[in-house]
Amino acid sequence: MLAAVFLIAGTAHASDVKLNVSISSPVLLSGVTQKAYLKVGLTGLPIQERERRTPVNVAIVLDRSGSMSGEKIWKAREAAKMAIGRLGPEDIVSVVAYNHNVDVLVPATRVSDRDEIYRTIDRLDASGNTALFAGVSKGSHEVRKFMEENQVNRVILLSDGLANVGPSSTGELSDLGISLGKEGISVTTIGLGTGYNEDLMAALAAASDGNHAFAETADDLARIFTYEFGDLLSVIARDIEIEINCGPGIRPIRVLGRDAEVYGHKVVARLNQVYANQEKYLLIEVEVPASDEGSQRQVASVNVRYSNTLSRIREVQTGQVEVSFSGSRENVEKNVNRSVMISTVDLEANESTKRAMRLRDEGRIPEAQKELKAGADKLNAYGRIYNEPKLKARGAAASKAVDDLSNGDWNVTRKKMRKQAHEVDQQQAW
Amino acid sequence: MKPRLIIILLVIVIAPLGFLAWLGLRTARNEQAVVQVRFRDLLQGKLGDLSRSIDRLMASREREIERITRLSGLDPDTIRDTVKRERLIRQIFVLDARGSLIHPPPVGLASRAEEEFLARTRRIFGSKDPFARPTDTAGGKEAEHGWYAWYWDEGVNLLYWRRDDEGRMVGAELDRMALLSDMVAELPETNPKTSRPEDGRIDLIDTNGKAVYGWGAYEPGKGEKPVASIPLHEPLGAWRLEYFMPQEDMTGAFSKSALFSLLLSLAALALVIAGLAFYLVREGGREIREARQRVTFVNQVSHELKTPLTNIRMYAELLEENLDEADGKNRGYLNVIVSESQRLSRLILNVLTFGRKEQSRLVLRPAPCVVDDILLRIIDQFRPGLEAKGVDIVFNRGASERVMVDADALGQILGNLLSNVEKYAASGKLLNVSSRTQGDHTTIMVEDRGPGIPDAAGDKVFRPFVRLSNAITEGASGTGIGLAIARDLARLHGGDVTLEPAEKGARFKVVLATPKNQTAPGQAHGGSGT
Repeated sequence: MLAAVFLIAGTAHASDVKLNVSISSPVLLSGVTQKAYLKVGLTGLPIQERERRTPVNVAIVLDRSGSMSGEKIWKAREAAKMAIGRLGPEDIVSVVAYNHNVDVLVPATRVSDRDEIYRTIDRLDASGNTALFAGVSKGSHEVRKFMEENQVNRVILLSDGLANVGPSSTGELSDLGISLGKEGISVTTIGLGTGYNEDLMAALAAASDGNHAFAETADDLARIFTYEFGDLLSVIARDIEIEINCGPGIRPIRVLGRDAEVYGHKVVARLNQVYANQEKYLLIEVEVPASDEGSQRQVASVNVRYSNTLSRIREVQTGQVEVSFSGSRENVEKNVNRSVMISTVDLEANESTKRAMRLRDEGRIPEAQKELKAGADKLNAYGRIYNEPKLKARGAAASKAVDDLSNGDWNVTRKKMRKQAHEVDQQQAW
Repeated sequence: MKPRLIIILLVIVIAPLGFLAWLGLRTARNEQAVVQVRFRDLLQGKLGDLSRSIDRLMASREREIERITRLSGLDPDTIRDTVKRERLIRQIFVLDARGSLIHPPPVGLASRAEEEFLARTRRIFGSKDPFARPTDTAGGKEAEHGWYAWYWDEGVNLLYWRRDDEGRMVGAELDRMALLSDMVAELPETNPKTSRPEDGRIDLIDTNGKAVYGWGAYEPGKGEKPVASIPLHEPLGAWRLEYFMPQEDMTGAFSKSALFSLLLSLAALALVIAGLAFYLVREGGREIREARQRVTFVNQVSHELKTPLTNIRMYAELLEENLDEADGKNRGYLNVIVSESQRLSRLILNVLTFGRKEQSRLVLRPAPCVVDDILLRIIDQFRPGLEAKGVDIVFNRGASERVMVDADALGQILGNLLSNVEKYAASGKLLNVSSRTQGDHTTIMVEDRGPGIPDAAGDKVFRPFVRLSNAITEGASGTGIGLAIARDLARLHGGDVTLEPAEKGARFKVVLATPKNQTAPGQAHGGSGT
């Protein structure tokens, strides 16, 4: 593997984000056309100074429809208050509650008088329908009021029911997510209980590069809000544009997991943010033409631009990756990139999971189980080969899900699987 | 008499009340209609303001898209970079001057998103000159920019297009969800603390007739019609805003208050009128009662007077018989006693008859008599008084047959007539009484040469308590019921008393039914009535 990193600007803080361009097999078998996986990873490095962090601008959008009444709304209020408690005077918060109507409980404001915000949240009760689209629209409007270059813009949506007022399809909410993502606003979606539409919620999160979580009970809310705000408070780069130009003869086949646009030999993707201590990556399956033994080929050159939210500088990093060709299989095997392989197995197995979900939706349970089991076996096998705990854990979860497809509560299982799929595709840390 | 009074009173009370109620209701209803129209206008105006705010939003978005389509270059990289950055649009397209699509590139070179765009716009770019509209080309000059709306994916999608200097067309597909999200953000929210149900609710309705966003605490019922509605302007022409309002607040609040005040005033009026009516009835009733009591009292007194008077007369007459022929002086005194007591008797009789008549207890009892005998007896009674005043009495008898007649009644009739002559017409120095029986009727004429009765007085003299002169100084006295009783009795007797024209003095004609058999007078009585 040959990965070169050029620092064009912002050298002082270049260490905040690390670009890693690598390929599954730096040495390929000569003489045959074959596939390989290209991985473009961005890792947020630990923040050195503890006090230094990116200010956040967050809108908490809470479902107050009738189904939320009782313990759910109570726990949601507590979780929201607890999360707001972690914000500082630099941060901006707004709280929007919606049923079939939308109420901007706390218009976007700097977090100075927490008690007043808490009191307002405590008055929240639940009744009525679910105008999810309008809730997110009003929430993002509040975020927009204080939009600044170097800040984390986030809408956190909590819902326990099906959207039934206004645009309510997965496609429509996904379009809204794309539009918000372009503005730099991510929507994190938290599904509570078993009544919400996990496809819609996950699609909205994925389209806007936000997180997605499944809170099976209201007790999970505190934990989820903690994770979410942990992410939120550790953003170190935002508005990340990734441009991958494939080398001569190299053809991108597909992008796994994330959404990316493929224009011929060019792949373009956009991330909203990179968190400290986390890796976000793009995995592209490419076709490499047959080449002579001993020759070398440039697979791709990568260009990444992002705003370093700590240094407040727009930075550019470039990288490239080449492959060499060998006639010896042993040589090929020896040089396989472990990290790329783990990501590939993870994402490929995830495709199996998603296919299994579709099959199960159609009622084809045995086929779904077969598909899911194939993914699980792969995870388990590679988990052992690379001795990778993450793959082993995913394999175990998938194996368990095989049983759940026929025996468990499909509604709950599906929400878990959807959450899991989102976690893998978007490299969500929790 | 009494039920009629009640009916009259009811009419007096109910008629004005009914009329006023009708008038009030009509006014209230008109007022309500006017208020409703004004209210509707108000709501319509409010929707107009909202529609204009959406117009402003659309105008600002149009400017933004106009800016977006002014690309620095029409190469794929610039276009794609723009699409990636601009939240308001989903895709950008470019047509060359001949109208063929140069971006997005054909399938194979396009990204997945671009291919999807091509799929959903195939119909538009497939047709020839899709953006030409009659109005645009009317002036001979091609339009420079505009909106194009088409239906896709259960909603109307909008394309904005602009022709550049080289005749190329650069356009962008508006992101439907981004636009809708902006509209929602622009429109008011629902604050449970400040928004009240009576303020109504406004819904934004899309092309499918579905409410995509709404605000206001009021919850309209299923199928409830909006009280005001306004379509949005192009390019959102198929969208509209609808205003819902609680019906009772639209109509009830006004009509209820109007109806309440109307009912209140009507009730007050009814109370006043009813009070007035009650007072009148009570007063009327009391007067009637009092009058009746007085009549009863007079009747009783008169009745009580009858017995002593009869005794006085009887003893006076007995005394007269026992008196010496020569004692002329005492005989003269006795004559005065007898005639005065006779006069008093007649007076009392008249009062009693009047009282009976008032109580409808006047009944005649005809018996076989000779009319002339009765007449003579009465004339003899008056003779001393009349002769004392120098009146000559002429009596022409013409009713000597025995017929059915109530002697008391006839005596009373003639007595009253003669009493009048004595009182008022003695100056004429002549009394002419004549009788004549013809068939079943007997006619008696009583004439004098006194001052007579003016034509204008006419029948008035027959009404009770009417006297041609009330002057007590005239020297004559009377109760004013004499002629009235005479006529009543004559009519009861199947005849009448009338005032006949005379050259000088008064001339009364009395006609009575005097059948020769015994049954007829009863019939005469029944047929005459009062």
